[in-house]
Amino acid sequence: MDIVQHWLHGFAVATTPENLLFVVIGSVLGTLVGLLPGLGPIEGTAILIPLTYRMEPIPALIMLAAIYYGAMYGGTISSVLVNVPGEGVSVVTCFDGYQMARQGRAGVALGVAAIGSFVGGTIATVALMLVALPLARVALAIGPPEMFALLLIGFVLVATLGGRRLLPSLLMALVGLLLAMVGMDPVRGAPRLAFGVPELYDGIGFIPVVMGLFGVAEIMLALEHPTPPAPGARVGGLRGMLPSREEWPRVAGAIGRGTLLGFLLGLIPGIGAVIPTFAAYALEKRLSRHPERFGTGVVEGVAAPETANNAYANASMVPLLTLGVPGSPTLAVLMGAFIIHGVTPGAFLFRERPDLVWGLIASLYVGNLVLLVLNLPMVGLWARLLELPRAYLYPAILLFAIIGCYSVRQSLFDVGLMLVFGVLGYLVRKLDWPVAPTVLALILAPLMEKALRNSLEMSGGDASIFVTRPIAALLLGVAAVALVLAAAGLGPIRRLGAPPEP
Amino acid sequence: MSRRSVVVVSAFAVGLVVLGALAAAPPVGAQAGGYPTKSITLLVPWPAGGWVDATARVVAGIAEKDLGQPVVVTNRVGGGGQVAWTELARARADGYTLGIVNFPNLSTIVYDPERKAAFTAGAYTHLVNQVLNPVAVWVKPDSPYRSLRDLVEDARKRPAQIRVGLDAILGDDHLALLLLEQEASVRFRAVHFEGAAPQIPALLGGQVDVVFQNASFPFVPRARAGEVRMIAVFARERSPFLPDVPTAAEQGFQTTMSVTSGLAAPKGLPGPVAEKLQAVFARAMQSAEHREKLQQIGVPAKILVGAEYTQLIDELDGHARRLVEQFRKSR
Repeated sequence: MDIVQHWLHGFAVATTPENLLFVVIGSVLGTLVGLLPGLGPIEGTAILIPLTYRMEPIPALIMLAAIYYGAMYGGTISSVLVNVPGEGVSVVTCFDGYQMARQGRAGVALGVAAIGSFVGGTIATVALMLVALPLARVALAIGPPEMFALLLIGFVLVATLGGRRLLPSLLMALVGLLLAMVGMDPVRGAPRLAFGVPELYDGIGFIPVVMGLFGVAEIMLALEHPTPPAPGARVGGLRGMLPSREEWPRVAGAIGRGTLLGFLLGLIPGIGAVIPTFAAYALEKRLSRHPERFGTGVVEGVAAPETANNAYANASMVPLLTLGVPGSPTLAVLMGAFIIHGVTPGAFLFRERPDLVWGLIASLYVGNLVLLVLNLPMVGLWARLLELPRAYLYPAILLFAIIGCYSVRQSLFDVGLMLVFGVLGYLVRKLDWPVAPTVLALILAPLMEKALRNSLEMSGGDASIFVTRPIAALLLGVAAVALVLAAAGLGPIRRLGAPPEP
Repeated sequence: MSRRSVVVVSAFAVGLVVLGALAAAPPVGAQAGGYPTKSITLLVPWPAGGWVDATARVVAGIAEKDLGQPVVVTNRVGGGGQVAWTELARARADGYTLGIVNFPNLSTIVYDPERKAAFTAGAYTHLVNQVLNPVAVWVKPDSPYRSLRDLVEDARKRPAQIRVGLDAILGDDHLALLLLEQEASVRFRAVHFEGAAPQIPALLGGQVDVVFQNASFPFVPRARAGEVRMIAVFARERSPFLPDVPTAAEQGFQTTMSVTSGLAAPKGLPGPVAEKLQAVFARAMQSAEHREKLQQIGVPAKILVGAEYTQLIDELDGHARRLVEQFRKSR
């Protein structure tokens, strides 16, 4: 059968020694960065992109994906051990995870999180395979007008759902659109908004902007806070990481529900990675016979959000790989990195580069396994790393970011650009405005512009092509409804994502 | 802070820096004598999935064995080649940045004042030509167009309505279309894509009716598989890969258009380095491996060095200049 063949082929690609090595390196580095307070998957991916720059596309993509889920797990570790979430996705894990650590059960919390992540990630990956193929079959129906409408939906959802306020999100998205206009006109070829600066002829690089806005800015923010107290809890061996016999049924239930919830939410672009974790936690609390015990260190309070988070991470690959619509800012960064490697995600990828797509999907399984095997014994080491004073650790990371940014094009201009955007990102964060819409716009705008102009070329300049083609019209309608809902503050999903009290 | 954690911190910091250094390129400043002492970047102006990328990767793979250093193919896509050719013209002429150039595409950018090109054909040391590739007309297997004549007749009935998928503005595909429009006094509706790869879904999905693209990879393998059909080639001879399809001339049209793909370096390359590169890459292109691989992917090789190559560039450059002037007037 078709799918089995693809599946086996994907595994053959993902388990070559070289690619396996990159899964391991990516997972470790991702965990390392995700572990550091303030740095989560998006910062981790942004800072580590240069490492993959000169690699072949398949290992590069596999390593980037590994960094992505590695960073997710890293955030869990710091949440449990020192009550400092790497970023939003692991906030909920703090509620019960840190309490468990205080009771000397840090090992169990991390073990459950790892098992939950593994199960959630694996089941979601299987579902990804089943969903992706039929979706990819309709690829040819998606022409430039439909592509434009799809990108618009992704854009509206991510720009509006993530932030609490619509206006700052849209304004920051406009900044991104403006930045994206700098450089060569994609159709006519004439330079735009370059002001005679040769470095700008090629546009404002995605790597320096992302590394600046996320990496450098977060490092500056993190340095404002003192080093967290050293974790008191020792983690213990493998046996100390498994829940007790009476906890298992609750853990299993939480993992099952977390997987389902995370996967379903992952299919909707724009939900963001945080909401599934809150939703899974709220669901467990509601279903529990002892909701009052949540927040005091119950094991399902860790299992549910962690599972949901990883199931979400894998499921959100579905809209990315099949439609080319990134579901979260982190995935937008990942998509930007894919494009740098000459791989534009979208349905056609399944037809044109099956080795790459299926290799990547298979590497998600392998990566989940690697994380499990690797992190159980390494947790003690990670805990020690958290004892390092920030004053030493963060400048070292900044240095690493500068070298990485320079290495991409051997351009000091890029390093300067990164630092400028780092300061800008810092200021914007101080205003409590979101930076994700800027990055999203910067990545999606060139694709949207191409789709828009190709559509108009197809119609001979007639804009009605967007409404006379049924799929395009439908998709544009969805985008309009999403925008209106967001403007009216009616987003049902947003209410769902309101943080529950621990 | 304890002594032990100082050690851990330092080890971690050193580790990060080493990692960073690994990511960074090796130091610059190598002398021509031992050239090459580090990896060479080969700028490809088109995205992966097209024939220029495919052939560049073939020759890079063969030449790097001879050079003893990796030749890293880097796709610098944008502005129909302008991004890569600007970067190549500005790069240091030390033999560590090379690029693929395509004529007449490079020249049309130079002669179109709107493009504000930062280079001319003379901004490079032209080393070896690898490919000369004619433009062809492609349709879906079930298309009503069986010949170029069918297409032109339909265009006469429905002026400016038949959608033609093209590569870059004033690239070889676009020039072929403009020449055909002029010759047959018809108008088409041009839709510009970036490289050959996006033209395929556009044609198969019915977003465009016809595609103008070279008679080579990636369309030739698809034609062999029955996914697309070639109805004419704008060359004096039939394509060796699809010998059953008549040329445009056989169908009564004079339009011809081909594009080159060759290896260039920034102008001012030191003599010994230029000689070495020319020798190594010419040898690589004349190898049996190169011949077989290009045959396999379906791209026609045309290996030229020295005066022969310069002559071809001059000819195509002059032709491009006249065409651009003509089309700017008629616009």
